[in-house]
Amino acid sequence: MAYLVLARKWRPQNFSDLIGQEHVGQTLANAIRSGRIHHAFLFTGARGVGKTSAARILAKALNCEQGLSEQPCNECPSCLEITSGQGMDVLEIDGASNTGVDDIRELRENIRYLPSRARFKIFIIDEVHMLSTNAFNALLKTLEEPPEHAKFIFATTEPHKIPVTILSRCQRFDFRKIPVQKVTQRLREIADAEALQISDRSLGLVARHGEGSMRDALSTLDQVIAFCGETIADDDVQALLGMVDRRLLLDTIEAILQHDSRRLLDLVRQVDQLGHSLRQFVQELVELLRGLIICKVVADPDDLLDLVDEELKELQKLAEAASLEDLQRIVTLLMKVQAELSNSPYPLLTLEMALVRIANLAPTQEIGALIRQLELLEKRLAGAPVSAAPVRGAKAESSPTGGVPPKKPEAPVATKPDSTDWQGLVEKVRQKRPLLGSLLEHGRPLAMAPPQVDIGYPKGSFMLVQLLEPENLQDLTTLAEAYFQQKIKLTFSAIEEEQQDAPPSLVETREARETDRMRRLREDAMQHPALKNVLEIFDGEIVKVIPTDKGFV
Amino acid sequence: MNFDQILGHDRQIEILRRALNTDRLAHAYLFHGPDGVGKRLVALALVQATFCIDGQGCGRCTACKKIAHRNHPDIHFLEPDGNSIKIEQIRNLQRELNFRPLEASCKVGLIDHAERMTVGAANALLKTLEEPTGNALLILLTPQPQRLLETIRSRCQPLQFTRHTHARIKDVLEQKLGLAETEAHILAALSDGSFKKAFGKDKELYLEKRRDLLKTLTGLSSGSILPVLEFAEYLASEKADLPDILEIFQAFFRDVLLMLHHQDESRLVNQDLMDRIRQVTRRESTTAVLDKLEALAAANTHLERNVNRQLAMEVLLLRLTADSERHI
Repeated sequence: MAYLVLARKWRPQNFSDLIGQEHVGQTLANAIRSGRIHHAFLFTGARGVGKTSAARILAKALNCEQGLSEQPCNECPSCLEITSGQGMDVLEIDGASNTGVDDIRELRENIRYLPSRARFKIFIIDEVHMLSTNAFNALLKTLEEPPEHAKFIFATTEPHKIPVTILSRCQRFDFRKIPVQKVTQRLREIADAEALQISDRSLGLVARHGEGSMRDALSTLDQVIAFCGETIADDDVQALLGMVDRRLLLDTIEAILQHDSRRLLDLVRQVDQLGHSLRQFVQELVELLRGLIICKVVADPDDLLDLVDEELKELQKLAEAASLEDLQRIVTLLMKVQAELSNSPYPLLTLEMALVRIANLAPTQEIGALIRQLELLEKRLAGAPVSAAPVRGAKAESSPTGGVPPKKPEAPVATKPDSTDWQGLVEKVRQKRPLLGSLLEHGRPLAMAPPQVDIGYPKGSFMLVQLLEPENLQDLTTLAEAYFQQKIKLTFSAIEEEQQDAPPSLVETREARETDRMRRLREDAMQHPALKNVLEIFDGEIVKVIPTDKGFV
Repeated sequence: MNFDQILGHDRQIEILRRALNTDRLAHAYLFHGPDGVGKRLVALALVQATFCIDGQGCGRCTACKKIAHRNHPDIHFLEPDGNSIKIEQIRNLQRELNFRPLEASCKVGLIDHAERMTVGAANALLKTLEEPTGNALLILLTPQPQRLLETIRSRCQPLQFTRHTHARIKDVLEQKLGLAETEAHILAALSDGSFKKAFGKDKELYLEKRRDLLKTLTGLSSGSILPVLEFAEYLASEKADLPDILEIFQAFFRDVLLMLHHQDESRLVNQDLMDRIRQVTRRESTTAVLDKLEALAAANTHLERNVNRQLAMEVLLLRLTADSERHI
C-alpha cells in the first residue's frame, strides 16, 4: 500500500507549518536561537494538534547538520533519518507499549553513550502518560540531571496522568485546538497542492467535522477524496459525513415546540428509513438547539454561530416561539437520551419514547413570574404585611388536639387604603419613642394623605394634651418625615366621642380582633367532641376559654 | 464473500471500492455501526479484494480460499479474550505486523469489538495505528465508537454502517427461512435492522409464545393481585429468555404508543394482535404508556444488576397493570 494518508503525507516539517501552535513554535525557535535549550520538554494537547510533529521538528532542529537553527533543512541525512523514523540518535519510543520500569532502565543504560553522529541524543517518548508509576520514578533522577548530550521530549494527550515530580522537571507546552478558519486555510493549501476541486463550504464542513484537530480534518478529507475523486460536490460531502438533512432537524424541533407528538413519530420514521444513526440525529438536534439558545440570549449571534444568513433567520424565527427554559429543558433531556441510546437494546423505541415525552411536557413558567405571583398572593392574604408584629398574636392559631375540623380562615381585617401607612408609622415611632408610640396607638387616623396627616383623639383626653406639647409634636413630625420621606404636616384634632365614622385606632382594631378571636375560639371549643362529652357527663357549663398560646406570644 | 455478495451497505462498499481503484486505501479504518449488520463481512470482502489476484475477490484463487477458510497467514484476527482485548494481544499483533507479509501485498490486522480494548491495550495500539511499520492495513470494528479513545478514533478513517431496512430483512427472512409474511414482519421489526438478531432470534419464543405472553399480560388487572404474582413467578423462572420477553413487552407498548398517536398501522410490530392493541389503547393515556415503558427499562436495568429476579418482575408487573386513571 504505497498510498500515504494525507495526515501523514502533510505532516508539518518545520515550525512555520505547525498551524495554530504559533506560541509553541516561536518559543522553541527563540530558545534555539539564544542557545537556551532546556533538556526536557513536555508537549500536551488534544489529539491531532501537532504534538508528535512538533517533537520531530524540534529533534530535527537540534540535530540538523546545517547547524543548530530554528529552520531544519529537511535535506541533510540527519533530518531525513528523523523524518523516516530511523535516526540512530533520535529514539522515538512508544510510551504505551514500553510501560515498564525495565524499559526505562534500558533507556538509562543507553543514555550514557555519546551520540554516534549528531549533536544530541534525543529521546522522544510518545503517549508518555501510559508509563507505570515505577517507570516514572525510575526516570526522575535522569530527567533532573541528564548528561549534556541528552534531550527528552515527551508527548501526551493526558498530562493529568503524569506525576508532578515529572511535570516539574520539564518545560511544558500546551498545544491548543486549532480554530476552524486556520484548519480551513491549511486544507485549502493541501487541496490545491493535491489538485482537488472542492468548494469553500465543503472545506468548512470538513474542518468543522475535525473539531479542532488537524488530523481528524485530514482523515475526513481523505475519505471525501476516496468517495468523490478529484472533483468534490457539496452534497456528497454532506452525505458522506452522515449529516442529517437540515430540514428534517428543523421540522423535528418545530414539532417539539408545537407539542405535536404525531408529527414527531412520523419524523423519527423518516430518519430511520434514511438509515441515519439515531445517536447522530440526536447529537445534531442538540447542536441545533444550542444555536437556538444562542439566538435567544445573544443579540447578534453571528460570531458565535457560523451559519449562512438564511439558516440564521430560520433559527431566529424558531427561537422567537420558544422560551429559554423550555429550550434548556429540551437540551437536557435530549442529552440524556443520547447517552441512553448507546446502551439501549431497542434504540428506536428509546428515541420515540423520549421525543413523545418531551413533546408532552407542560410548558415551563418563568420562576421570576411565579415568585411575583406568590408575593402578590401573600400580600392579598396577609392584608397588612409591612409590620405584622401586633397582629401576629392573633394569627397563630391555638388548635386543640386533632379531630377538630380545620378552622375557617380568619376574616380579613377591614383595611382602609391608608391603614398600612398608619401602622408602619406607629411601629416606627414605637421603636424610637415607646411612650409616644403607645399614645399614637390610641389615635384614629382621620387623614393619611402625606403631607397632610391628621389624627383624632377623644375630646379632652389626656393623650391629646400630651401629644400637643410642642416638644413631642416636634419629635413626631421629624419621625413622620423620616418615615414618609417628605415634608409632613402633623395635626392632632379632638373628636366627639359619638363620632362613629372616624377610622378605628390601632388599639380598637386589636381589641375587636381579639374579641372576634375569643368568640371563635369558644365556638371551636364548643364543637370539640371531648368537651361535648365532658359537658354531657358532668352536666357542666363553660365559664371561660383561655387560649393556650397566649403566654408564648 | 466479495463485495457483490453483500446485501446492502452500497455506499460503504462504493467508498471502499473507489479507494481501492484509485489506490487511496488508508492504513487504518474504523467500521462502526450496530451489531450484526455485516461490518465484518465487508471488512473481509475488502481484504479479499486487496489480496485476490484479479483484484475483485474471485473466490477461486488460493488467497480468496484461504481468507474464506480463515487461515490466510497475513490476516490477524483479534477478538476479545474473555471480556476485553488485552495489551498482550496488541503486542502480539504488533510483532506480527513488523514482519514482511508472507503471501499477500500487506499484513492485515482485524480487530473485532475494538471498544473492548483495555485502556492499556488501546494506548499501546496508538503508535502502530498512526504509522504502522511497513505495509499494514488495520481494520477496527465496533458497535460503540464513542467508547473508543478519542486518540484512536482520530487515527482511523471512520466508516459508518447503518441498520438494514425493515423491508430487506423481511424479504430475506421470507426467502431464506420460508416464514409467512406476518411472522417475517414481526421478526424483522424486533431485530432492529440487524441480521444477526433476526436470524439469532428464538423463532418459537418470538412467534408462538409471544402471543400467549401478551395475552396473559393484557389480561391482568390491578384488581386481582394473585394472577399478577403468579405471572411474575413464571417470568422469573424463564431465566434465559427474560431479556427477550421484556423486549417483546416493550414492542407491544410501543405499538400502543404509536396507536395512540394514530400512526400508520403497518409500522406496528404485533400485526397479529391488532385487536388487543386497540383494546389496550382505549384504556391507556400517553403518560401511562410512557410510564410503563419506563418501568420496562427499569426492569432491564435491574436484571443487568442482578437484582432478585422475582422481585423485579413483581414490581414490573404491578407497574404495568396499574390503572391508567391513577396517572392522570
